Amino acid sequence: MLHNKSFVKKTKGGKVMKQVREHYLRDDIYCGAPSCTVCDSSGARLSSSASTILVVDTNVVLNQIDLLENSAIDDVVVLSIVLEEVKNKNMSVYNRLRAICSNSNRKFFVFSNEYHRDTYVKEMSGETKNDRNDRAIRVATQWYQKHLGGAVKVLLVTNDKENKRKASEEGICAETVESYVKSLDRPDLLDLLVRPSSEDAEMADVEDHRPSKRKVIYSEHKPMSEITSGLHRGIYHQGKLRVNRYNPFEAYVGSESIGDEIIIYGRSNMNRAFDGDIVAVELLPEDQWQGEKSLSIVGEEDEDEDEDVHLAPNSADDAPRTTPQQGSTGVINAGSSRPSGRIVGIIKRNWHSYCGSLEPMPMPGGSRGVAYALFVSKDRRFPKIRIQTRQLENLLDKRIMVSVDSWDRQSRYPSGHYVRTIGDIGDRDTESEVVLIENDINSRPFSAQVLACLPPLPWSVSSEDLSIPFRQDLRHLRVFSVDPPGCKDIDDALHCYALPNGNFEVGVHIADVTNFVFPGTPLDDEASQRGTSVYLVERRIDMLPKPLTEDVCSLRSDVERLAFSVIWVPSADYWEFIFSKKISTLAFCIWVHTHRFALALFMYVQEMTPEADIISTRYTKSVIKSAAALSYVEAQARMDDSRLMDPVTTDLRNMNSLAKKMRLRRIERGALTLASAEVKFQIDTETHDPLDIGMYQIREANQMVEEFMLAANVSVAQQILKSFPLCSLLRRHPTPTKEMLEPLLRVSAAIGLNLDVSSSKALADSLDLAVGGDPYFNKLIRILATRCMSQAVYFCSGDLSPPEYHHYGLATPLYTHFTSPIRRYADVIVHRLLAASIGISKLPSVFQDRLQLTSIADNLNYRHRNAQMAGRASVELHTLIYFRKRPTDTEARIVKIRSNGFFVFVPKYGIEGPVYLTTRAEKGSGEWYVDEQEQKIKKMDGSFSYSILQTVQIHMEVVEPQPNRPKLQLTLI
Amino acid sequence: MEYVSPEGLRLDGRRPMEMRQIRAEIGAVSKADGSAVFEMGNTKVIAAVYGPREVQNRSQQLSDKALVRCEYNMANFSTGDRMRKPKGDRRSTEISLVIRQTLEECILTHLMPRSQIDIYVQVLQADGGTRSACINAATLALADAGIPMRDLVTSCSAGYLNSTPLLDLNYVEDSAGGPDVTVGILPKLDKVTLLQMDSKLPIDILENVIQLATEGCKAIANYIREILLENTKELEYRRGS
Amino acid sequence: MVGLSLGEQHFIQGGIAQDLRCDGRKRLTYRPINVETGVIPQANGSARVRIGATEVIASVKAELGKPGVVQPDKGKVFIYIDCSSTAEPAFEGRGSEELSAELSAALHRCLLGAKSGAGAGIDRTSLVVVEGKICWDLYIDGLVVSSDGNLLDALGAAIKAALSNTGIPSVKVAPGASSDEQPEVDVSDEEFLQFDTSGIPAIVTLTKVGRHYIVDATPEEESQMSSAVSISINRKGHVCGITKRGGAGLDPSVILDMVSVAKHVSEQLTNKLDSEIASAEAEDES
Repeated sequence: MLHNKSFVKKTKGGKVMKQVREHYLRDDIYCGAPSCTVCDSSGARLSSSASTILVVDTNVVLNQIDLLENSAIDDVVVLSIVLEEVKNKNMSVYNRLRAICSNSNRKFFVFSNEYHRDTYVKEMSGETKNDRNDRAIRVATQWYQKHLGGAVKVLLVTNDKENKRKASEEGICAETVESYVKSLDRPDLLDLLVRPSSEDAEMADVEDHRPSKRKVIYSEHKPMSEITSGLHRGIYHQGKLRVNRYNPFEAYVGSESIGDEIIIYGRSNMNRAFDGDIVAVELLPEDQWQGEKSLSIVGEEDEDEDEDVHLAPNSADDAPRTTPQQGSTGVINAGSSRPSGRIVGIIKRNWHSYCGSLEPMPMPGGSRGVAYALFVSKDRRFPKIRIQTRQLENLLDKRIMVSVDSWDRQSRYPSGHYVRTIGDIGDRDTESEVVLIENDINSRPFSAQVLACLPPLPWSVSSEDLSIPFRQDLRHLRVFSVDPPGCKDIDDALHCYALPNGNFEVGVHIADVTNFVFPGTPLDDEASQRGTSVYLVERRIDMLPKPLTEDVCSLRSDVERLAFSVIWVPSADYWEFIFSKKISTLAFCIWVHTHRFALALFMYVQEMTPEADIISTRYTKSVIKSAAALSYVEAQARMDDSRLMDPVTTDLRNMNSLAKKMRLRRIERGALTLASAEVKFQIDTETHDPLDIGMYQIREANQMVEEFMLAANVSVAQQILKSFPLCSLLRRHPTPTKEMLEPLLRVSAAIGLNLDVSSSKALADSLDLAVGGDPYFNKLIRILATRCMSQAVYFCSGDLSPPEYHHYGLATPLYTHFTSPIRRYADVIVHRLLAASIGISKLPSVFQDRLQLTSIADNLNYRHRNAQMAGRASVELHTLIYFRKRPTDTEARIVKIRSNGFFVFVPKYGIEGPVYLTTRAEKGSGEWYVDEQEQKIKKMDGSFSYSILQTVQIHMEVVEPQPNRPKLQLTLI
Repeated sequence: MEYVSPEGLRLDGRRPMEMRQIRAEIGAVSKADGSAVFEMGNTKVIAAVYGPREVQNRSQQLSDKALVRCEYNMANFSTGDRMRKPKGDRRSTEISLVIRQTLEECILTHLMPRSQIDIYVQVLQADGGTRSACINAATLALADAGIPMRDLVTSCSAGYLNSTPLLDLNYVEDSAGGPDVTVGILPKLDKVTLLQMDSKLPIDILENVIQLATEGCKAIANYIREILLENTKELEYRRGS
Repeated sequence: MVGLSLGEQHFIQGGIAQDLRCDGRKRLTYRPINVETGVIPQANGSARVRIGATEVIASVKAELGKPGVVQPDKGKVFIYIDCSSTAEPAFEGRGSEELSAELSAALHRCLLGAKSGAGAGIDRTSLVVVEGKICWDLYIDGLVVSSDGNLLDALGAAIKAALSNTGIPSVKVAPGASSDEQPEVDVSDEEFLQFDTSGIPAIVTLTKVGRHYIVDATPEEESQMSSAVSISINRKGHVCGITKRGGAGLDPSVILDMVSVAKHVSEQLTNKLDSEIASAEAEDES
């Protein structure tokens, strides 16, 4: 049966076009009930014993997806019209619904009612789209009832009053979600229900519990048509709202239309928008761009706006924004005026589930078991959420997840509903789980399909592996690895041979993960989704299943393993090469020579010729046998111990001297030596509690390995880009903008330091010159510089032009990740590209699809960033646990000046946090004032002052201002 | 974009291996020597054949075989967005050429030396697969004109979206940017006479897609034969026998 | 194009003189007229008209545009005619350009009236959404699929039928836009404005062969004409436009006579068309 659908469509250019689409109606769409005698039941999903089959309408899906995900709800028919409407309204709910439908443990069946001959309904004149769809749902329900006969009850679940009434008139069983769930007699399910908004008069018995608060708090959101026309006329601006991680009352909207970020101050200007929402913003008049004090959070009831102690940020992306007019405590500074605005409408919500806990409250007496509570998200970017629960006493000291349902103008906070409990607050496992959930990290065990892709275990190198022509047998080489202590996923190993002529052959051997992970397999899909392994303080969430990570791929000592090797060798026309004057342009990769004779020759030929040049590279798949798996400490100790003369130690020393020269050259090119404050815990093996905490010590051995990995990555980047200019996966580090470096410049100006930021080379040089009164000064400046930089990102080479490929931090025009395929998916992709570029395998089809490659790169960046955030959060968590029992006095440096205090950085523990000079109550009393020019905070009478980078002594202690809410407090001593 | 739902239905309700509804009619232009309308879903074309007749431009005359010419045109209203292109743009010229080359091979031109056969195809509605529809319409028109042919030529396209081979792409699917393989076959001789593909496709998948398009061509050939048979019966009846 | 022998020519002329044409018609009788509407679903309105073996398709597409400065209160209407080469091998390539232009101009004259829009069969003021800002532009495309004489009348009838088949989406203008900006519009999917086609004239072409004039001439008859006058007359009997084709001069009194004949014929034609359109619409609906 054929039916033509026509509709009017407005194109982007404002053109109105009539579109006509064919729509075929079929008679071969089956009902999905195994008991059905008419239909083909091979694809049936519903249970054969079902006495009730549910048909849900669109709003039930959109609002009650948490309920549907609960396995108590089953035998549900999802109509294609419902799927379509859900898809148009909320993609994430759609994906969740699709996941339920495809989960073989759940009995959800998708019925394509829109294509079924008997259930398709044609729009009637004067009928709105919604009415038509509601009717389609009723028609389909009725069809089901008729089709399945009296044995099964088909129940339409809808909260739409009108729809329910019409259904009853047409003889269809219909119930609201609430009454259906109540009939199940499962009180815990009731908490999962979204509280109906006021339109659904069904629940009129829910009286408002805070009548005094029912006044309008927020201004109204403009209707969509007005927003569209406003955007069109340029009076509104569209963008994604990003809330300041450190100050939830300050948010930014990156607007393409004005080419700048618009700052939104305060909850009322943010007008119920959440972080990640796509919003429409109206600019405030210019005279309101500053002096936001009236709008700052000062007057805003009991919000806790204390800054917490955090791990010191590592890049600009982690750091709080440091605009001069920092919202809460900032001082108003003339000179920089960034546009401020207010949100007039929300174009697309980004609501999901949030992790957090309930605000402590006394147990209400005798309230029929139903209580209201305020939920505080762990992530401070989100407002408190009001929920209704029947199990308050169970939830008070728990970490829970909550979804947002609605936020009307009369409510200070959005309302939501409870989703699930994670565990006890403060419990390390629970808190770690929270870290994982918050960063969207999949820590579930690998599925059976994924595990089925593993090679049979125990695995060992077989003669088949050796017989493959392109796999070279390098087992005779003295290969060894250097890694952090206790490292089990060893993905790189090295070798270094002195050649008879005094040159060196150096090889970097990387675990051959792509020999086990084939494109398009469930294993590959899963790894691609996870993107990276995540390292928490006490555990590791692997990207690949453990047998691969720790055994089959890991280049452990004394076992034969497959590798992908990059070997720098002397080229045949080596001497010719030496005399050609192109050496310096062939700066990258390959064989490293430090022959004394050659050195002398260079000096003779060209003084500019550096000594650690790489001449040609060879890439090969190989079999290696690692002679030793060293830790950094061990390697360092061997090198330092002059008595040791064994082969491995000699290799180490040779490599180290090569690495030093390479490093020097790299720095001469302008690579930045940046610094970050990484901390390390010693963990009790029994309790997993931190025993000691300290700065991670960087040794020469670390730098040595790093140097060779960098060189390998650069070589590989060149090789793959040469073969695949449009679909290589590379890594770039954008040059920081002037604006990003501003905080650094402000600090350096205040202390009289002159930094040249015109290029990475200039910056590196002036950082070298920055030596202050004390030994730590230089490092501190470097740390401050590091946090001004943005992070490096993966990208697809076809998406950008070659000048944009540049890696600022490493000062190299090309870079990629090749050396850690066990724990990073980017490296897996690069391995495949490299293998294809040297002709030993075909390029998988995904590389022919640039869009898909771009989306993979985007996902990798997202996962990478989340993994870092999770790692930091885990360190913060353990820092808190550590100091819980150990109040400490220590030295700290002031890194930021505020009107009522300053931020200090504690080098020893790598943390950063606020120190208040005034208590909250007397804030703004004017005892202290800030000298922005000199970056000092002074006492009014001039008797006392603190300046930036000054050393202060502080006391660190964990306090619990509220029960179960410990926080680390820093005070001056 | 999801072009095939997990339930295995395409946007318009077809399954991946299904063709759109086809309809053909012989004799749409009564003045022409042969003519036909061919519809594949919302794609609708008219073909008219004039000839064999005297060669209009003597310099083009071929002494050993007939001259076959073809012109392809799209009506201004045939696309969703009104066409403003002048007649004879590059795309039309290319399609004209494709149709001519495909059909010329199957016309027994050596039987009609020094004559000319004109094939005109006019697209009334374009909804994907116009190339195929034009060839199918032209085949019918040639048959209607009684021009001797080796075999019928039928054509159908197939594509590959969401990792599924799809038969007979409509406009929406065609604009998805995936590969679009147009195949023309001589159904009786079982030979491929036309094969065009844009975009990239791994070789093993290409085989499947071509196979699918060929199946489509065969189905169309069966339908065309039926139409011709019906038409012949009607002519016979009209002759009053 | 039509090659006729002398005998054939005499036969045609003689038949016309005796009011018995080759196909048995009288001088003022049309061949059977057949109307189908909604043949091009993608267009806002469309129709196919067959008169004898002549077949034409007309489609109407509406686009949002901006009214001209001179006539801020009127929408724009464009008529383009194309002769498909399927209709005549001579139309191949650019062969139909002259004829297409002639037909377009004649239809323009007959349906759209003077430049000011006065006397137009199509009420262009009804196309305005916001005066001076937004209006509907109608693109009328005619396509000659099969040509067997009397193209102009057929095209006129097809356009009339297509317009009565046309539904223009109703438009809501977003309020609040200040006067100097282009307002935003919201196009409704469900409601359509129907076009008032009662004022659209019918075109009657009188072909003068010898001393007589005939309607709905076949190509053979057209080849014998001395001149032809196309007169568009609306339902009220007002002449909306006249086009004279063909070289021979005409006595003004003859023209006046032709107009009065045309008026008489047009009444029948209009009724015939209206009933055809109505039944076609009914069929399209079902």
